[in-house]
Amino acid sequence: MTVLKTSLRNFLAHKGRMALSATAVLLSVAFVCGTLVFTDTMNTTFDKLFQATSSDVTVSAKGSSDSGETTSRTGKPPVVPASVLGRIRGAEGVRSAEGTVFSTSATVVDADKDKLSPSSGAPTIVGSWNGNDARTMEITSGTAPKGPDQVMVDADTADKHDLKLGDEIGVITAVGTHHARVSGVAAFKVTNPGAAIFYLDKKTAQRTLVGATGVYTNVNVTAAKGVTDEQLKKNVVAALGHGYKVQTAKEVAEANQKDVQSILNVMKYAMLGFAGIAFLVGIFLIINTFSMLVAQRTREIGLMRAIGSSRKQINRSVLVEALLLGVLGSVLGVGAGVGIAIGLMKLMGLMDMHLSTDDLTVAWTTPALGLLLGVVVTVLAAYLPARRAGKVSPMAALRDAGAPADARAGAVRAVIGLLLTAAGGGSLYAAAGADEAKAGSGWLGLGVLLTLIGFVVIGPLLAAGLVRVLGAVILRIFGPVGRMAERNALRNPRRTGATGAALMIGLALVACLSVVGSSMVASATDQLDKTVGTDFIVQDDNGKEIVPQAVEAIKKTPGLERVTEYRLLDATLTTPDGTVSKGESINAADPTYAQDLRTKTVAGDLADAYKPDSMSVFEGFAGKHGIKLGSTVAVDFADGRTARLTVRAITSDDVVIDKGAMYTSIATAARYVPADRMPLDDLVFATAADGREAGAYKALKAALHDDFPQYTVRDQTDYKQALKDQIGQLLNMIYGLLALAIIVAVLGVVNTLALSVVERTREIGLMRAIGLSRRQLRRMIRLESVVIAVFGALLGLGLGMGWGATAQKLLALEGLKVLEIPWPTITGVFIGSAFVGLFAALVPAFRAGRMNVLNAIATD
Amino acid sequence: MTSAVTIPRHGGTGGRTAVAARARQVVKAYGSGETRVVALDHVDVDIVRGQFTAIMGPSGSGKSTLMHCLAGLDTVTGGQIYLDDTEITGLKDKKLTQLRRDRIGFIFQAFNLLPTLNAIENITLPMDIAGRKPDRAWLDRVVETVGLAGRLKHRPTQLSGGQQQRVAVARALAARPEIIFGDEPTGNLDSRAGAEVLGFLRRSVDELGQTIVMVTHDPVAASYADRVLYLADGRIVDEMHQPTADQVLDRMKDFDARGRTS
Repeated sequence: MTVLKTSLRNFLAHKGRMALSATAVLLSVAFVCGTLVFTDTMNTTFDKLFQATSSDVTVSAKGSSDSGETTSRTGKPPVVPASVLGRIRGAEGVRSAEGTVFSTSATVVDADKDKLSPSSGAPTIVGSWNGNDARTMEITSGTAPKGPDQVMVDADTADKHDLKLGDEIGVITAVGTHHARVSGVAAFKVTNPGAAIFYLDKKTAQRTLVGATGVYTNVNVTAAKGVTDEQLKKNVVAALGHGYKVQTAKEVAEANQKDVQSILNVMKYAMLGFAGIAFLVGIFLIINTFSMLVAQRTREIGLMRAIGSSRKQINRSVLVEALLLGVLGSVLGVGAGVGIAIGLMKLMGLMDMHLSTDDLTVAWTTPALGLLLGVVVTVLAAYLPARRAGKVSPMAALRDAGAPADARAGAVRAVIGLLLTAAGGGSLYAAAGADEAKAGSGWLGLGVLLTLIGFVVIGPLLAAGLVRVLGAVILRIFGPVGRMAERNALRNPRRTGATGAALMIGLALVACLSVVGSSMVASATDQLDKTVGTDFIVQDDNGKEIVPQAVEAIKKTPGLERVTEYRLLDATLTTPDGTVSKGESINAADPTYAQDLRTKTVAGDLADAYKPDSMSVFEGFAGKHGIKLGSTVAVDFADGRTARLTVRAITSDDVVIDKGAMYTSIATAARYVPADRMPLDDLVFATAADGREAGAYKALKAALHDDFPQYTVRDQTDYKQALKDQIGQLLNMIYGLLALAIIVAVLGVVNTLALSVVERTREIGLMRAIGLSRRQLRRMIRLESVVIAVFGALLGLGLGMGWGATAQKLLALEGLKVLEIPWPTITGVFIGSAFVGLFAALVPAFRAGRMNVLNAIATD
Repeated sequence: MTSAVTIPRHGGTGGRTAVAARARQVVKAYGSGETRVVALDHVDVDIVRGQFTAIMGPSGSGKSTLMHCLAGLDTVTGGQIYLDDTEITGLKDKKLTQLRRDRIGFIFQAFNLLPTLNAIENITLPMDIAGRKPDRAWLDRVVETVGLAGRLKHRPTQLSGGQQQRVAVARALAARPEIIFGDEPTGNLDSRAGAEVLGFLRRSVDELGQTIVMVTHDPVAASYADRVLYLADGRIVDEMHQPTADQVLDRMKDFDARGRTS
């Protein structure tokens, strides 16, 4: 009981000193809980949506995806004939059946040719207005679409793009472009997170999306009273046979949910990973806080020991304080987590993703996990300082409270740290030299882990060395104030080391990723320069296929020498060794592709692969299956018949673009795949006639912009820039998430300084008494802070660049051939860290300056 | 009114007045109303240049407060304090800090030195802070006087208590301040080390012409001074010139007796 009482009193007495540690726990727990609440809420939202939008049983074509995504690579959705409707109606237990047409491959534009698709990556759905929709939606203005020139739009999309009744819109599909005017606006009764939905009447939808009447993509079946969905499904299957896909509402929802879940899980685990890093950094802060509190209380603890407290009791009293801290930080963190989740939902709102706080889902596991994590991490972090407290001898009560005895980093520590670092360095070296990606990545992971731990362990030693160097380089300028700052930073190398190490972790990751990112850009650019012989590339902005009309438009553009179409076909390959490889992709292109992308071959001439009934395979595949030039491979096209193709070229694996591609000509593919099932082009390449590049580029842009705004044409320069932007965007997102860990680390610097100022009250008093001005005092503390921050940055950047360079060496196997160190980023981070140091010292320096000289001297 | 004011004389060196510091009607009170405690009650004091002055008195007499006020470490509630001709009461922190740095030296009872700096760095610290170059010859003389020549590179933790106080004395002397204030400078030392330090203080007055004010409750320490001021209840109640330890002790006993009877 007394233990608890002393702990509680100590905790309350030092609540100011605990504040930053509590904040660190709070932030980490909040991030974990925020992530969980946010992803759970997303799940709830989608769950409700899918529950609401699917009918009892849905019948669709065999080829359509499980989640009912009515899209296919042909640009037209797979359909069932209208005749099934009658057969379904005849089945037992069917109350009604309604045929509908939907497609997610259409692009919708307004009168100004601006796309009306969501920027969040959510689908654009064009479909027929049917009874099922009428149940889940409410027409808020106008009327449902009737006739070929009417379209109804969902409320969110209408709102965002300011669509009014009577506004003209265009629907671009593989069939053609259909124009209609807005006849009505309908709002979802549940939350629609972001899909843009356009309704046509049934006939118009059939003509526009499929190009034929009398077909449906889905048949929505409603059960008669007392018939379960499962029973209904059985009856429908019995009536139709097995030629169709028949799913209950539950199955559709589950399949949909699975798609969403896989995306959400990636996001969830990525964010939890970053929360984990923040926790790791927070541990340093907590260890420092408790170490300093224990050091400051040495005499007090000595007294407790002298009057009979056992080691265990002292130990426990510190741990109980940690427990209190953990509980407080976690409870606040859970609350803040819900706030973060709501903030994220609002942020998503800015990116066209609508989430309602009505769906806010806080599972009981979320606060439980948050509390558990917060408390366990805090108590574990406090364990070492607590043990040290237990070791305080009763004699300490009698001694003067001098500098802590552990000022010198132990030799054992140095040896262990150096061994770990050396082992880590060895692993990294092995990773860099690995000739197989899989083994190499294992070494890389091990190396990263070991060097990180090693650096943390020898941090105090490095602190002693590096701070002296920094002192000699920077602090000299500041004279005696600089010298005192240096000495203060060196006074307790373990503390400086731990504080710097906390910052090191975040910055090492930043440095590593920036090296890998810029190496990626540099390598890709290098490859593009070396191998690409075409001028322009046309792609869909959302990765969809390119409709034939657009390809025609490209071909008609003046100034072009050649246009190459490029598409992917799914196929099952049977090789001469008898192996059947399922789920392979065949890259079908026009023969000119051999000029557009100069892929190296190890045997044969790639141009020959485009001859009739010919193909190429890649080196690895050829080796594995014993394929030589002239071998025959049976290619069973998923959308057609089996072709027997002769291998005329074997491409090198030492390529970046189209690595692992197997080429054939579109003409060859067309002989085995019927036209209505032939996928559309994924990419179209265009090459300008000599000297007409600029004009052709302009003309291409103009041709696509007016009629096909969903496609973007890029020349090599723009393509490289787009690549760079894309990687830059990804990196920025990761940096944003790492900011959490860096913020916690900065709190750690503030914490160390604040506690140091308290610890050095008498010294500060003395210095002030003998004439150190407030300004000089503040500068001294700021300089100490800058030194700690810069120390952390040096370690972090050094370590991170090492990791990044190793990763590049390893990824060179995957084509990341060029190592590029992004010096502007590295320098920026370094200079930024100095400012972080200044910033962290603001409050501690201010408080030190405000200290009353006499009180400071009098403090015992 | 209590007074320990000497008749102003003009000294022979540098045109400075013979009084290094003076206090006029200084009042220092804490709290207000019922809880008001007066630590200094209209004190007048002149500190004579080139003299070693000791301030004595029982605990709570206000002797430390008086020293802190004279040294510009503490603010006064009323009255004026002058250092030479400069009135320091009412000075802003910046000016006061400069004044302490350039014109005053300090020796505290304990914790006089920065643990991160070695002996010589501690000694030159006030000048370093001020950005002044120490006078090499003077520094050597001071170091020699306090007998630290062999230990200048030692950190405070590597020095004995007596050595640490000698470093503090050296620091106070090195900047050639107009006045040195000592707050029980030998309070933490055994008698031999204490005698050593006091000897240095005495010599610095005799040989270097230094002005020193020292708060102490030790009659032996006070006997090293030229003049002893006695404080009781925030007032100066007596003073003694060229005291001996026995005289001081007798006087202290006298106060104690009076304190008990009154």
